[in-house]
Amino acid sequence: MTMADATAAVAPGTPEATARFVGDRRAYWRLLVRGAVLLAVSLGIYRFWYATDVRRFLWSNTEIAGETLEYTGTALELLIGFLIAIALLVPLYLGFAVAALGFGPLGQLISALSVPLLFVLGQFAVYRARRYRLTRTVYRGVRCHQGGSAVRYAICATFWWVLIALTLGLAYPFAQSRLERFKMRNTYYGNLRGRFAGSGFRLFLRGLPMWFLVAGPVAFALAFSISTVEWDKVLASAAASGGGDFLNQLETAFPGVYSAIVVWMAALSISIIMAALLFPAFQAMMLRWWIGGLRFETLAIRSELRTAAIYAAYLRFLWYGVLFFFALVILGSLLLAAAYYVSAQWGGTDLTEIATAAIGLASYVMAMLGFSAIYQGTVKFALWRCGVDSIVLDGADALARVDAQGAPSSAVGEGLADALNVGGF
Amino acid sequence: MKTAAGFYFDGVTSARHSVTVEAAPEGLHIRGTDGASIATWAYADLRAMSAPDDLLRLGRADDPSLARVEIRDPAVIALIDDYADGFDRSGRTERRNRARIVAWSLAAAASLVLIGIVGVPVLADRIAALIPLSVEHRLGTAIDGQVRTMLDNKKSDKPFECDDGAGKPGRAALDTLIGRLERAANLPIPLRAAVIRRSEANAVALPGGRIYVFEGLIDRARSPDELAGVLAHEIGHVAHRDGTRSLLHAAGLSFLFGMLLGDFTGGGLVVIAAQTVVKSAYSREVEASADLYSVRLMTAAGGDPRALGAILSRIATSNGSRYLSDHPDTQDRVAAIDAAAAATPVAATPGPLLAPPEWTAFKRICG
Repeated sequence: MTMADATAAVAPGTPEATARFVGDRRAYWRLLVRGAVLLAVSLGIYRFWYATDVRRFLWSNTEIAGETLEYTGTALELLIGFLIAIALLVPLYLGFAVAALGFGPLGQLISALSVPLLFVLGQFAVYRARRYRLTRTVYRGVRCHQGGSAVRYAICATFWWVLIALTLGLAYPFAQSRLERFKMRNTYYGNLRGRFAGSGFRLFLRGLPMWFLVAGPVAFALAFSISTVEWDKVLASAAASGGGDFLNQLETAFPGVYSAIVVWMAALSISIIMAALLFPAFQAMMLRWWIGGLRFETLAIRSELRTAAIYAAYLRFLWYGVLFFFALVILGSLLLAAAYYVSAQWGGTDLTEIATAAIGLASYVMAMLGFSAIYQGTVKFALWRCGVDSIVLDGADALARVDAQGAPSSAVGEGLADALNVGGF
Repeated sequence: MKTAAGFYFDGVTSARHSVTVEAAPEGLHIRGTDGASIATWAYADLRAMSAPDDLLRLGRADDPSLARVEIRDPAVIALIDDYADGFDRSGRTERRNRARIVAWSLAAAASLVLIGIVGVPVLADRIAALIPLSVEHRLGTAIDGQVRTMLDNKKSDKPFECDDGAGKPGRAALDTLIGRLERAANLPIPLRAAVIRRSEANAVALPGGRIYVFEGLIDRARSPDELAGVLAHEIGHVAHRDGTRSLLHAAGLSFLFGMLLGDFTGGGLVVIAAQTVVKSAYSREVEASADLYSVRLMTAAGGDPRALGAILSRIATSNGSRYLSDHPDTQDRVAAIDAAAAATPVAATPGPLLAPPEWTAFKRICG
């Protein structure tokens, strides 16, 4: 990009601007492969540096209205945040363990509450981690930041996730819209305050066909089994036989039960296949809706993301995944054969057992890290790049008149999210 | 050519200023398009901030205002690189730092593995010794419920525990056998044994003195002493507090590998796999010492200490593969049991620990 282009992109009087991703795919792959190898040999300790590298790459290659973002976070901050989080969580876990050992009803209550409590804490961490990432995001020499109470967010998010579970996912669009509103209302670029304009109801309408395609077969199976099987008689027979040869008795008494079971199995398979086929479309829809809902005062953002691009990324993921799988199988078998040969030379079944276990463990770790890196390099990369490339900004001149505000926040939220396994880039 | 066109952000507003940047020997001069000086940055303070490859984005160390200068001219960038000593355009310093980080994280990983293999078992032993028996009893009760739900496959409509009622012959025989062993063992806590309806040839001891004997074990035992040998082995676990120790051990390992190392890419299974590898090595020692305890206890109780070896090898052969057996290397174990039995002085003349009628009643405890 020449400087003339950059100036043209935000010249006064042309409020419409675009964003684009300028990163090199091969450079990203190098980052991922090196990261995966170092994660494996360092038992994951390298992850703070890995996450920082990935963010630095993604941020600094994201160009909005002619200027790239800058990630100012460091791996050391993440490491310290994680250590503080561990120091906070260890007494909590110890408390749960002691309570579980039984201190009457109070102990039972505490250990029953531990799972929901950790979920709320996880949501708290998600919000605080977002604050860390925002305050490390610098654009045109001005920092982003986030206000708002993480406790309030955690309680709201927990409420919505319970509702999502109770409504079998139908509340998801409304939950996303409310939570995104909460986040964006508290998001600032300098003194430019964000908001979120995406409509939960519109997302609901758009997602409803997908929901029916996935949930429909199951609903059909449910309706079919209710209408064809005489449940009161089945239950009576179940009570009479008391388990054991229950199914055989059912078959002779009520032939409808087996067809109901077949319908259920077919319905579940169709649902799972549908979910897998529709997932890329779902991700594209969510990303388009999310980007299209972002606002900063007078600045509005649109997205022209094509769903086909996300499907293409998944196809690439499958293709690389299959290649990697075969490579791993060949490598693993060669190593195993070598281990058997060596132990046959020197004898010792103990040695063979240990070598087999070690090779198995190593293959598993390599498979996990490899697939994760391939997913990062194909799907996650495509979501980021295509998402950025699809952005059109209306009223981008607002970005040139922002006053600096906000201060960097601590990385404890990131550490908590890491320790509670709710983190992400 | 020492000057280049660039952009300047003052860190106060987001306005972009077109500037001319001059890499002079004494510092970096930043001038507006009208030639007026905006700022001069000392080379020592310069830092390259994250940016795309073809762009040099400069900031200053310890400058809270986030002022930035952006240049794309390669010649001027090279010149700045020459002037600024601590400047790392080639990435050499960064690579050196990174190599150091990698080396330290490898060392940390090695140390954690060492702690997992050596430190955690030692710690678990020490802490288990400090736990009062009352707490261990409570622990056992807490685990008992879970173990029962895990073991009870509800296949049978009969009660899960094969207790043919207090005072009935089967139960009485079990009480006699446990009583003889318990008197000889002289434990600080009372034992509570029960036979449960499961077909595997196995027995388990929980913290706090609870022992479950599986129905399948009774079916395969040919003499009361064989069964007593296995019971004595489980009493060994109780006496050595192995249940509590292995619980502490597992907790320590899952903390170490689960929480500290982080869940990179669904590493939950890695944790379990690593635990299995570490624990299987550890369990050999634990089982061997429970075997030795069984030999001593059987001798003291007047039973045949070699019977344990006999039933172990029978179970191992009938299982087909010794990999399936959760107790390691049966041949070695039997050899160690026989050696220990030969070395232990016999106090009384060994005879079966249950009289034939009692044994017959016991065999029928599950009906």
